[in-house]
Amino acid sequence: MSNSIPEIRDLDFMFIIGSNTTEAHPIIAMEMKVARQRGARMVVADPRKIWLTEYCDMHLQLKPGTDVWLVNAMAQVIVDKGLVDKDFIAKHTEGWPELKANLAKFKLAEAERVTGVPAALIKAAAIEYATTRKAAIYYTLGITEHAHGTDNIFSLANLVMMTGHLGVPFGGLNSLRGQNNVQGATDAGATPLYYTGFQPAGDPAIRAKFEAAWQTELTAGVGKNLNEIMKGVEDGSVKALYVMGEDILISEPNTNHLEHGVKKLEFLIHQDIFMNETTKYAHVVFPGANFAEKDGVFTNTDRRVQRVRKAVNPPGNARPDWEILCDFARAAGYAMPHYSDPGEVYAEIASLAPRYAGISHERLDATPMGIQWPCPSPDHPGTVYMHKDGPVKGKGTFIITNFRPPVELPDEEYPYNLATGRVLYHYNAGTQTRRDSGTMAKVGECQIEVHAEDAARLGVKDGDKVKVVSRRGGVYAKVWISGRVQKGNVWMPLHFTEAAINKLTIDVGDPLAGTAEYKVCAVNLLPVKPGNGDTPEHESDPALVSLHKGNGQH
Amino acid sequence: MAETFTITIDGKPVEAQSGEMVLRAAQRAGIHIPTLCDDKRLDPAGACRACLVEVDGQRRLQPSCAWKVAPGQNVKTQETSKRVQRHQDVLVSLYMADHKLDEDGLPVETCNGNGLREWAQECQTLTLDPVEAPRAARPGDKNPYITFQPELCVLCARCTRYCDEIEAVNAITLTGRGSNTTIGTAGMRGLLDTTCELCGGCIDTCPTGALVEKKAIEILPQQLERKVRTTCNYCGVGCQMDLNVAKVDGVEKVVRVTSPPPGETVNDGNLCIKGRFAYDFIHHKDRITEPMIRKQDGKLHAVSWDEALKFAAEGMNRVKQRHGPEAMGFISSARCTGEENFLMGKVARAAFKSGNVHSCAAT
Repeated sequence: MSNSIPEIRDLDFMFIIGSNTTEAHPIIAMEMKVARQRGARMVVADPRKIWLTEYCDMHLQLKPGTDVWLVNAMAQVIVDKGLVDKDFIAKHTEGWPELKANLAKFKLAEAERVTGVPAALIKAAAIEYATTRKAAIYYTLGITEHAHGTDNIFSLANLVMMTGHLGVPFGGLNSLRGQNNVQGATDAGATPLYYTGFQPAGDPAIRAKFEAAWQTELTAGVGKNLNEIMKGVEDGSVKALYVMGEDILISEPNTNHLEHGVKKLEFLIHQDIFMNETTKYAHVVFPGANFAEKDGVFTNTDRRVQRVRKAVNPPGNARPDWEILCDFARAAGYAMPHYSDPGEVYAEIASLAPRYAGISHERLDATPMGIQWPCPSPDHPGTVYMHKDGPVKGKGTFIITNFRPPVELPDEEYPYNLATGRVLYHYNAGTQTRRDSGTMAKVGECQIEVHAEDAARLGVKDGDKVKVVSRRGGVYAKVWISGRVQKGNVWMPLHFTEAAINKLTIDVGDPLAGTAEYKVCAVNLLPVKPGNGDTPEHESDPALVSLHKGNGQH
Repeated sequence: MAETFTITIDGKPVEAQSGEMVLRAAQRAGIHIPTLCDDKRLDPAGACRACLVEVDGQRRLQPSCAWKVAPGQNVKTQETSKRVQRHQDVLVSLYMADHKLDEDGLPVETCNGNGLREWAQECQTLTLDPVEAPRAARPGDKNPYITFQPELCVLCARCTRYCDEIEAVNAITLTGRGSNTTIGTAGMRGLLDTTCELCGGCIDTCPTGALVEKKAIEILPQQLERKVRTTCNYCGVGCQMDLNVAKVDGVEKVVRVTSPPPGETVNDGNLCIKGRFAYDFIHHKDRITEPMIRKQDGKLHAVSWDEALKFAAEGMNRVKQRHGPEAMGFISSARCTGEENFLMGKVARAAFKSGNVHSCAAT
């Protein structure tokens, strides 16, 4: 987030695009509700009807994958009406004439045809955004999990900059990060592009700095990103994996294909708190600790570094993950220092990365609100909103974006478009929330949201079981005629391992970010008729198959 | 910008900001005024009457939670006003006549504390005949997290106002009239059959423990070993929470999660269903408790840490020698701490000379 969570309640206008905030970020949604109750206006762009679309002022119900068209058409309205912030553009940006010329292609009438959103709504939303001072944009994975995810974000960034909603309180472009420490993982340098603190991996001077600190030679250049590593596993060029705290066989796209590769790995270390699909193929399993059993920091979505504190001991011989990593490095022959606690590890991070230089465990312990980076020195208060003195990189660059349709569109064989996402009551692969009674009482099984007309055509009703198939695999789910999806679209949550939706999804990544297109792929629905033997139990459990073989009953 | 001026409370000058209520100015100055229905996150309701004070020029006592400050205002609390103290003695006694009491005649302690009990201990209470007007409960409510104990409810409506003003789902509301008033739902259905999202904000805001967490109802505050402030491990909002630790069969366990007071942290005292209630995984029986290696028989066997680390290091070094660092991948986790992600980067780059390190942050 360029801005901060506590600013939300004082906003006058919110544009929420590709974020089912009440389900994925419930506490940020509470702030949005407080703002709304105080009179702020709320525009939500989402292909589905969600809680917020019942609550907001305008719902832009676009067709999946047409975000670039929608946002660029809004930008063109702002140009047409002369509502651009000329001062901001002149002072802080570059590339405006080129962008302006390109935007001319995005005509309102055509936008309505492509996105399905009435032109009057696009126009009204654009004008309100451009003319409200305290106006902020929020987006989540509905924007990023596309093969053109970065184009979506560039389009939004253009919208923010051309209206001068950047570098001010109560504004900005705010990505709501999905996981507790997804920001912190990248910050810390668990990315092929950067060393700790977004210092480019390809920069020889940065490499030299880390070589001196770590007292070893480091490899030059940029490594493989997650999508490339997984492709490497599939094609056999990657032979060994160390996987910590993730079930790659549930979370990565096109898992059927990936599973073949994982089976052939020469060596696989899996470090986690529960056994899962990935553990099945591991050569070594390290029992790690959960957040209640260790010290450290998480960095949240508004760049806020906050303490994680140990409350209880890990069970049995399980150990905090940081200890395991250090011992493993030493066993492998690298002289990892003997850190006495994670506070010492953080001190090393702060010494190597200027943007965290002012942060320490001691200071965090004295700051209940946490500290927002950048925080370059111990007397720096942290940064509530970014780009205060103009864009951090000097000039904000307008980047031209053009519409590219999703990679896999529905056709005769696979006539439905599948999007995937989260529900409030579960979290990711469900390893934690599916072990709790109330979350299971609210949502206990995998449902697929289907439009009423599609259900009628398929001859299925609420609660019927269907097999959902794509070109890559199939899973079972119960039909829910939710009234939330558009005709021709279906939606499934990602939390249910027995209905592992990433057997269906397509493993094309955004060319820049590597993020996979979880939001659009083509599927078909096959009704499962009782008595024909085609049930999920038969497929998943060989014992049941043999048990039922021949009698045709179950 | 709010204008700042001075008011007088109990003879002491107190700094106040235009537009705020007397109670807030008093709280900031460290002056104690009892209250049951006040929550910083909610609009003032003036419902419980516990916070009444004397204000110069006003014939009647006024609720400090809903009375705006004014320059030169002179306010007296129970500390300096006999009239306010007398009011409190009677009011708390009336509340107690309609409340479950312990053998000492005080409002009972609950797993969430009891604000009425604390207030009663500050007052000269009178013994009144109990009121025989039991409030209706919701006996058919099958939700496993939130339970309502009607004999402890003071009808301050914090829970229903929270459900409306903050969570905005309006699942619970005051129903009935007069002595039949209770905290109800549409048709008195169980919470699972309402718009309730089980965020538990009603439990957090309830001042008397009438709404409490079912899972931890037996564990009173004094049985806790400690509360540990930490960051939630679910989504990216970074809510602060207090892990309540108590000994269960001699072993320290997280038995409850509570939220920090409003105004102190980024989540302003709010939590969602996952943060507040979905903590059973911490001590779940399925946890992996031993390091394991896959032996000749193709199965995983529990081994010592030394053996597992040696086996792992040899395995990874073998691949590095045979195929080079390019053939290795290190997948870190957005679920782990910043320090652990840093160390995974260091393991990949420094120990194995491989730049192939990423986390699930990409997805």
